[in-house]
Amino acid sequence: MRKGMLEYCILLLLHREAAYASDIILKLKEAHLIVVEGTLYPLLTRLKNDNLLSYEWVESTQGPPRKYYSLTPDGELFLQGLEEAWMELANTVNHLKRTQNLLS
Amino acid sequence: MKKTFNINLGGIVFHIDEDAYELLDKYLSNLRIHFSKEEGAEEIVHDMELRISELFSERLDDKKQVVTLTDVEEIIAQMGKPEEFADDTTQDNKEYIDDKKGVKRLFRNPDNKVLGGVCSGIAAYFGWDVTVIRILLIILSLPTIGNGTFVMKGIFLVYIIAWIIIPEAKTAAEKLSMKGMKVNVENIGKTVTDGFEKVNDHLQSEKTKSFLQKLGEGIVSIFGFLIKAALVIAAICCTPILFILLVVCFSLLMVAMGTISELPAFFYQSMPVVDWSVINTSPHSTVLMAISGILVVGIPIVGFIHFLMSTFAGWKDMSFAVRMILLILWLIALGVGTFFMINFGMSAIDYSITTNTINY
Repeated sequence: MRKGMLEYCILLLLHREAAYASDIILKLKEAHLIVVEGTLYPLLTRLKNDNLLSYEWVESTQGPPRKYYSLTPDGELFLQGLEEAWMELANTVNHLKRTQNLLS
Repeated sequence: MKKTFNINLGGIVFHIDEDAYELLDKYLSNLRIHFSKEEGAEEIVHDMELRISELFSERLDDKKQVVTLTDVEEIIAQMGKPEEFADDTTQDNKEYIDDKKGVKRLFRNPDNKVLGGVCSGIAAYFGWDVTVIRILLIILSLPTIGNGTFVMKGIFLVYIIAWIIIPEAKTAAEKLSMKGMKVNVENIGKTVTDGFEKVNDHLQSEKTKSFLQKLGEGIVSIFGFLIKAALVIAAICCTPILFILLVVCFSLLMVAMGTISELPAFFYQSMPVVDWSVINTSPHSTVLMAISGILVVGIPIVGFIHFLMSTFAGWKDMSFAVRMILLILWLIALGVGTFFMINFGMSAIDYSITTNTINY
């Protein structure tokens, strides 16, 4: 469940703009979604192997060259699917909550 | 003052303290073990190496040029240990129960020791608490109890011998089999990570080894060396005996072959040591006796050679089943051999009597 959430969030972040792994980490940390950075790397590699992400090497002024991740067309499609699934889920939960509130 | 290494991490050269290097090396190999089942493991670890390299670069400038242990510790905390990566925990628990089963072996435990880690190893072997064993040992070795100093000396001697004989669990695999856990990738990974704190303690305080420990280790290594030297000398002394035994073995084999094929009288004659004329009964019993003779002589030779090789050349110990089979075979062969010996002895006496009477 949590893992699926993370994947969704990563795709969501990359949907708006391409980013470095370190940027993604920063944003996920701000949102308190991950605690340690090590969680992210296997996920990124998995998403890349599933052809949802792609990356290109970008030289860095300081430190080694970095991977600049972006969504592939497949990734965009997959994200749309996730979006719908998420909305459905959220609607169900909200619906349940509302009826609970009415009852109590 | 500290020694530093140069490392290439993600294509960038860093100066790194020795202790920091060791920790980082452990961490990276731990990551490799953790991801080894995953698709694209190399890539994941490489990505993480790049990230660590990036973090190092952020921390260094003209004033601070060397990566220290604290840097590595903080970065590991930031990146997280493999257990902290979000994984399906339920599955892990299931595996953990399975992991409990494994072949147990007695080792000395280097991670938790007062002197040689003997008590700790025994505790790990039986799954008891170390402290209980230590207290028991101390109480037993108190001079007031039982036969006084005699018991104390005995226990002291037993401890020293145990220290010399029982091997220390050095590798992760040995540490696992010390606790009777299965030796597999996940468990080795766990051991390496558990070693983190240990490594830190050890590196930060140089004086973890007490004087007694050092003294004991010195004595044990000297004794171990002496025992090994004695074994070598024994082996050299035994060589002629071994050679004779081998010759006997070979001649017995030849007799068996010769009797089976009824061919080479040549071999019959070329064995001057044994009076083969004694064996003039049916070829079946000759063959049987030759075989049992070969086994009686050969099995100890093989055992001895194997023992030497496992002591010096690092051969694996024989399994319990193999040992038992060899022992039973040897006993059977010995029984058969003795039976025939007695029979032949009788017939030989008869033979000599008859020849003697003929000579008269």
